[in-house]
Amino acid sequence: MPVNTGLADVSNDFLLAAVVIYALAMLAFACDFAFGKKPVKAAAAARVPALVGVAAGSGEPPASSVRAGDGPAGGGPAGGPAVVTAGRKGVGRWVAAAVALVCLGLTAHITGVVLRGVSVHRLPWGDMYEFVTALTCVAVAFFLAAMIRYRAYYLGLFVMVAVVLVLGLAETVIYTPAGPLVPALQSYWLAIHVTAMTLATGVFFVAAVAGITYLFVDRHARRVAAGRPAGSDGILRRLPGPEALDRLAYRTVVFGFPIWTFGVMAGAIWADRAWGSYWSWDPTETWAFITWVVYACFLHARATAGWRGRRATVIQLLGFGCLIFNVLVISLVVPGLHSYAGLT
Amino acid sequence: MTGLRTPPDTGPATPPGDDFAEPEAAAQAIARKPGVRLGVAGWLRWGWRQLTSMRTALVLLFLLAAGSIPGSLLPQQGTNPAAVSQYYSSHPVLAKVFGGLSLFNVFGAPWFAAIYLLLFTSLVGCVLPRTLRLVGSARQPPPKAPRHLDKLPFSASYAAAGEPEAALQAAAAVLSGKRFRVRTGPGWVSAEKGYLREVGNLLFHLALLGCLVSIGLGGLFGYKADRLLVTGTSFDNTITALDEFHPGRMVSPGDLQPFTVSLSHFSASYVTSGPLLGQPSAFNAAIRYSDTPGGPTKPFTLSVNHPLVVDGTRVFLIGHGYAPTFRITDGTGHVVFSGADPFIPVETSGLTSEGAIKVPDAQPQQLGFIGVFLPTAVDAGGQLESRFPAPLNPMVSLVSYAGNLNMNSGPSQSVYSLNTSGLHRLPIDPRPLSVGQSMKLPGGLGTLTYTGYQQWVSLAITYDPGQLPALVSGIAVLAGLLLSFFVRRRRVFVRAEATGSGETAVEVGGLTRSDAAGGFEDEFSSLVADVSGQAAKE
Repeated sequence: MPVNTGLADVSNDFLLAAVVIYALAMLAFACDFAFGKKPVKAAAAARVPALVGVAAGSGEPPASSVRAGDGPAGGGPAGGPAVVTAGRKGVGRWVAAAVALVCLGLTAHITGVVLRGVSVHRLPWGDMYEFVTALTCVAVAFFLAAMIRYRAYYLGLFVMVAVVLVLGLAETVIYTPAGPLVPALQSYWLAIHVTAMTLATGVFFVAAVAGITYLFVDRHARRVAAGRPAGSDGILRRLPGPEALDRLAYRTVVFGFPIWTFGVMAGAIWADRAWGSYWSWDPTETWAFITWVVYACFLHARATAGWRGRRATVIQLLGFGCLIFNVLVISLVVPGLHSYAGLT
Repeated sequence: MTGLRTPPDTGPATPPGDDFAEPEAAAQAIARKPGVRLGVAGWLRWGWRQLTSMRTALVLLFLLAAGSIPGSLLPQQGTNPAAVSQYYSSHPVLAKVFGGLSLFNVFGAPWFAAIYLLLFTSLVGCVLPRTLRLVGSARQPPPKAPRHLDKLPFSASYAAAGEPEAALQAAAAVLSGKRFRVRTGPGWVSAEKGYLREVGNLLFHLALLGCLVSIGLGGLFGYKADRLLVTGTSFDNTITALDEFHPGRMVSPGDLQPFTVSLSHFSASYVTSGPLLGQPSAFNAAIRYSDTPGGPTKPFTLSVNHPLVVDGTRVFLIGHGYAPTFRITDGTGHVVFSGADPFIPVETSGLTSEGAIKVPDAQPQQLGFIGVFLPTAVDAGGQLESRFPAPLNPMVSLVSYAGNLNMNSGPSQSVYSLNTSGLHRLPIDPRPLSVGQSMKLPGGLGTLTYTGYQQWVSLAITYDPGQLPALVSGIAVLAGLLLSFFVRRRRVFVRAEATGSGETAVEVGGLTRSDAAGGFEDEFSSLVADVSGQAAKE
């Protein structure tokens, strides 16, 4: 079937609109840091045990209380990264506006990706440009879910900065016009392998943002603890404690790692179908393996005394660095079986 | 190794109690103590503990990742031998150093094998004791309830009507109904659940070993081969008929499945307009094959993601190109060459291809030609170039040589290039030829006619008995990973005491051993609700 270039153009318009809206959301998040109301310090709020009445069945209701997660971490009730701003409904105007913009941008983004798929009659992640637009879409969707589930609004600015940069780069530097797939990619394994890789990359993206934020917050917390001048802490004071960020990053990696593992394995099965060997140490395969090993290092390091915290976070960021290196350098520059980027 | 054995976030000061930290610390203590002499057995034990410690495993994991990097950045003998020899000629000194370090064959290098073998030994050292411990702990009932349940990370209390025994019985019933393993004692109930976490962890690591064994199996008993096949020709799956043959250590020539493949027709489609002009959209090779020599042939359409499977051996379409056909008569008037000569594509957008024609039978002198084939030749400012990969205007341009081809002496030559050391170039311009045109060689050495072209495909033939074990191991890796990440090991304790006013004060405490997946708080409060509700009903 021929490529519907009209639809492809509309898809481009939607994606450009998404970049602009994300940029506005980014500004709104920044305004929240600059002008929003100062929240009650999270740690102080978390120490107050939340008293939850437990409804009893029939009969006389026993007086009961559940005190959950007033753990030594002090990270918040139930140890989740959840409660980082104290108030349950204390979402500032700027944050509300930013979240609305993110939703709007995500709608445009999804529309753009879907239209691209419709215009070429296939899944819209067949070349590097499409892969990047899809993975940023996953990152934003995952972030939005995390933001609503864990009220992690503080990450908004950082995720949006990264998304605007990457998506902007995709639209300008690695843009590839819509077209049919090369024969090597004409397989249902594209849907399985690349979808998993896209999902995992989007999830690791959010973990990396949490990790970087953790490093800043942790450094600040150490300075404060050591009694040294901590400098301007306007933003840092509004962020959750290092424990909560560390936990969020860890849980995000734990969510993404099996998806990555599955994606690499699906790729191996596809390689076996297409090239006759499930593993041939192609440069892209090798770096997917390196990424996997480094994330495995992170998971082990976090369970090892003396490696938790900063060191483990550095390893996590190193893993994401390997992933990005694979996407941006290996796939585009080093010749190999995965050279489908559509760039010459 | 990912399992945490302590409740989460007991603070950075407490070691998060991986199973290996303790013996390691002990071993170091012994080793560092002055004056204490370790015997051979002592040193071996110390070495083993070092090797199986988490720290060593981490270092080995890092080494594995770092060691793979040169394998992705430098050309590798296994995948791209031509690029390796290219590297040797352009950086002779550096290449010698790299070659000495096996950097052109990283994944078969002794040092790389040393890393992963040590890693897997370390892994076995981790996993075996843990399996034993798991079996032990699976047999044991949960521990006694601690005295002060309100000190646990999760706790709740309520007052129930009736005797403490009744409240405890109700709690035990609820917990065993939720498939907790329950132990009761005087005034307390303790319960534990989530043993699958450790099972998953072990499964993951054992399955990694399974992957390694499967890869080894493929390396020993499998083989890979390549064959270039021109339209209208056929080949048998025997060693002499294959262009490249990479057998495993245990493969003998008789192990090859004796099938025959012939190529009837090859077709390629390309995008004909728009910005992606020339991008391929379909490759199909119509072949006939028979699984026994001389047996009946069956048709099959080979395409890129659609291999042919014969007797467990698979045939893949991995490349294609053009083979221009020539008819060459020598100085004595004999036809000394007639047929197709495969040229190798040197770029993808126009499939410009290069090759060599060797005519050892020509008289009075042997003839050789170096040629460029342009599928869609277009004049670009006085220079011909190919603008499209399909053969819309197939032209060939040849440089002619005569002399000695040196084919009977010296190292074996590539059929795609010409060794010109014994040849002299003939004084004739490489005029581009269209199909049907001829070129008369000077000095009465003969005539060459460009008669047309054929297409060829390159086929990969692979046999890998480790495939299925690798798939099973891969699925087990994933299953183990999911279990160890998302099953939570948790303990719940209940204590009940009579308050004296006919009521019973019940305390519930909870403890979880991982922070991988949150959400124990919800489970805990619903458990408390069930337990207290149950007590209220009775």
